[in-house]
Amino acid sequence: MSQIRNQLLQLNGSADALFILYYTAQGEPFPNNLDKLCAPNVTDFPPFHANGTEKARLVELYRVAAYLGTALGNVTRDQKLLNPQALSLHSKLNSTADTLRGLLSNVLCRLCGKYHVARVDVTYGPDTSGKDVFQKKKLGCQLLGKYKQVVGVAAQAF
Amino acid sequence: MSTLQIWVAQALVIFLTTESVGELLDPCGYINPESPVIERGSNFTAVCVLKEKCVDYYHANASYIVWKTNHLNVPKEQYTTINRTASSVTLTNVASLSIQLTCNIFAYGQIEQNVYGITVLSGFPPEKPKNLNCIVNEGKRMMCQWDPGRETYLETNFTLKSEWATEKFEDCKAKPDTPNSCLVSYAPVYFVNIEVWVEVENALGTATSDHLNFDPVEKVKPNPPHNLSVSNSEELSSILKLTWINPNIKTIMTLKYNIEYRTKDASTWSQIPPEDIASTRFSFTVQDLKPFTEYVFRIRCMRSNGKGFWSDWSEEASGITYEDRPSKAPSFWYKINPSHTHGYRTVQLIWKTLLPFEANGKILDYEVTLTRWKSHLQNYTTNDTKLTVNLTDDRYIATLTARNLVGKSDASALTIPACDFQGELVESKCYLITVTPVYANGPGSPESTKAYLKQAPPSKGPIVRTKKVGKNEAVLEWDQLPVDAQNGFIRNYTIFYRTVIGNETAVNVDSSHTEYTLSSLTSDTLYMVRMTAYTDEGGKDGPEFTFTTPKFAQGEIEAIVVPVCLAFLLTTLLGVLFCFNKRDLIKKHIWPNVPDPSKSHIAQWSPHTPPRHNFNSKDQMYSDGNFTDVSVVEIEANDKKPFPEDLKSLDLFKKEKISTEGHSSGIGGSSCMSSSRPSISSSDDNESTQNTSSTVQYSTVVHSGYRHQVPSVQVFSRSESTQPLLDSEERPEDLQLVDNVDNNDEILPRQQYFKQNCSQPETSPDISHFERSKQVSSSNEEDFVRLKQQQISDLISQSCGSGQIKMFQEVSTADAFAPGTEGQVERFEAVGMEAATDEGMPKSYLPQTVRQGGYVPQ
Repeated sequence: MSQIRNQLLQLNGSADALFILYYTAQGEPFPNNLDKLCAPNVTDFPPFHANGTEKARLVELYRVAAYLGTALGNVTRDQKLLNPQALSLHSKLNSTADTLRGLLSNVLCRLCGKYHVARVDVTYGPDTSGKDVFQKKKLGCQLLGKYKQVVGVAAQAF
Repeated sequence: MSTLQIWVAQALVIFLTTESVGELLDPCGYINPESPVIERGSNFTAVCVLKEKCVDYYHANASYIVWKTNHLNVPKEQYTTINRTASSVTLTNVASLSIQLTCNIFAYGQIEQNVYGITVLSGFPPEKPKNLNCIVNEGKRMMCQWDPGRETYLETNFTLKSEWATEKFEDCKAKPDTPNSCLVSYAPVYFVNIEVWVEVENALGTATSDHLNFDPVEKVKPNPPHNLSVSNSEELSSILKLTWINPNIKTIMTLKYNIEYRTKDASTWSQIPPEDIASTRFSFTVQDLKPFTEYVFRIRCMRSNGKGFWSDWSEEASGITYEDRPSKAPSFWYKINPSHTHGYRTVQLIWKTLLPFEANGKILDYEVTLTRWKSHLQNYTTNDTKLTVNLTDDRYIATLTARNLVGKSDASALTIPACDFQGELVESKCYLITVTPVYANGPGSPESTKAYLKQAPPSKGPIVRTKKVGKNEAVLEWDQLPVDAQNGFIRNYTIFYRTVIGNETAVNVDSSHTEYTLSSLTSDTLYMVRMTAYTDEGGKDGPEFTFTTPKFAQGEIEAIVVPVCLAFLLTTLLGVLFCFNKRDLIKKHIWPNVPDPSKSHIAQWSPHTPPRHNFNSKDQMYSDGNFTDVSVVEIEANDKKPFPEDLKSLDLFKKEKISTEGHSSGIGGSSCMSSSRPSISSSDDNESTQNTSSTVQYSTVVHSGYRHQVPSVQVFSRSESTQPLLDSEERPEDLQLVDNVDNNDEILPRQQYFKQNCSQPETSPDISHFERSKQVSSSNEEDFVRLKQQQISDLISQSCGSGQIKMFQEVSTADAFAPGTEGQVERFEAVGMEAATDEGMPKSYLPQTVRQGGYVPQ
């Protein structure tokens, strides 16, 4: 569990910088319209309740991490095309994705070892490959806003 | 010829050449194995197989095969012809890394022709990789290293494998030039345990290292702190403040540091205590530095819990501490140049620059003050290290201070004597003579010494006193004489000490001492001591001092008193314990128990040989065994026979009341230890009874003697009954029976009360006889029972044996308990014995003559 906590702290510590780096890299109107363009309104984002049992929280955390992992992968793919020069953003997106992958591994091990949960049903966000540039940027911004919000709650919950 | 023709011709040539080469390239045979790899030092066997066409073409067979290794013939002993077309060769202990093995035949028996050739490689199988360890350089991928083991001399592949519990990672193949390390292709993910190991493989085998499982965060080598800067403080010249920027890894771990520093010219580093910098920080102030000194710093960091690796050292940074006032006064001297002007002279003051650690900064200038003797002051300021001034011939005091940005140094002073100084030296005065060498570049270090023009004996002697006085020693101390009183160099002291009557003893002491211990002194003695101080010219006595050595050494008194007290206490305790343990014996001899007649258990009267009652130890009241057996005698009241003597004795009995020390309780009370005087009832009734009728002797005290004393008087025995005789009144029939003295039968029952066996244990009494006395008080019945039960056989036997008891007088219990009535005295004769005889009971007493109204003790 200490590793899971450290991972959440690590994600929480870098979430804001990633968010800032992202919307800055998108250019206007994003930096000045965060509440409109980057509000954490991701409807299909898996829920996370901080006051559940450890098992329940781990299951929800697993779903969140799985969702975020794929979603960030999409964002990373899109940004490499939309902002190929934003190397810092790419690097941070990659490292966040790596950390989320590690978090998935630890959470699964914990669920399996302690609670004998071998499988958790997960959901993924929509594929952004068919969307236009603005939508891609906006969805990415909303996702990172939501991610920053949820990871903060999760870091407090564990 | 046309181009086309040329082309065709070339094509034909090429075709034909190819055909011929192809034919030439088609070997006549082959060797098996074709690309062998063998372990070095092992044997190798190869087989050369000829093709049939070559056998026919070259008219050769396998026996014509010649094996060569590296163009050298292999000895034929190593050949083996398998068949017509095959031949093998065995190479033993192959040590070469690579051997060219060729199979050749002698074509037509003469021409050596190469058939086939192979390269035999030898080497070793891979060893198990050891010491696998990994490091994650911050911002870089993880690299693992291992010990590959011995050289295999073969192409060997090392593969680093890694995986999570839920995911496998791509293998990392070590490069051939770096077979002992591999840099993984994926970015490190912290806080997830990863398992790594190395698999190695070559043509001769495989091996696998131990698995390593760890969290990459524990293998991090951070980047060093950067942007290290140094700043000083104007307030404190001994500190420098360092600031730096931590590596990014600080976001996932706390850091600790190493900070080292040195002066610019030094070669060795000093280290800041690690415990002062054991957590993440951005600055540090280094203290205890020298002022105005340049220092060089460097810093490195690692994870604060010690797991991981130290970063590299940062770039070095320098800083200079702030200035401080000069710490030392510059030394200076003067030169007097001869002056042609009368009354004036040119004096050159010269001095050296301070060393950097003395200057503590940049010296801005020097200030010189010249003071003519007790007047006029002249100030000079110069940047140079010399000053030339014109002075009068008077004496001057010169001072020099160095000044920097912070302040001035202490002043050094110099006296420039007056021109006419002749040096008035006096005797017996101590002078300090200082010589300062003056070199071309300034004055050197002065040397001083003390001297006397002429010495003399001290003007006063040292005052001695005691520092500590013991039983046999004393520590003396004294102060050094003041310089003014010394009049010379004190070379030594002499201590004189003596007692009032003894001789004086002298002890020499070096002048460097200020105390001395006198030993082998006599205790409790008055000593007089004095000291003399000596110079080269003589000595001077000091005042006499007296002291007295104590009688006892410190702690001696306590050492004597305490053991004595403890011994006394111990002796007392032992004595008390001994007395307590022997208290019975002591009581027996010092304060023996006196039997209380009132508490005696008299069961039967016996005039001569009172029966022994074997008293129970608990019931035995008189352990001394003086008196035990008493029987109750029935005295017939009708017996008129007068016995004046008896009466007298009866009177005695009547009148004399014997107090047996509390033991007597009247009738029935008995006291074995009572006096030999007869006891009589203290009851008034009994007295009246006795007065109204004849004096009734109801008891006889039989005394066996007390403490081996034989009583000279008559002994008496008595019953323990305390009630007056009533039986005669209440039971007249009893009296009838008693009157018939000759009727043994009638008397038998009553007499059976008193029968007791002298030597035999007391028999239990006949209950019926006791019933006769039921009218008496219950206590008396108890007495009877007790008497019967208590057998004092030893006493009876004693009394029987000693013959002291002559006669027991038996008294009827009823009569004994009943109030005294006239005529109740019964006469008892020898019927009891007879009755005892008749009945088979042992005789226990001798008959007595009893007359009416009393009995006569025999």
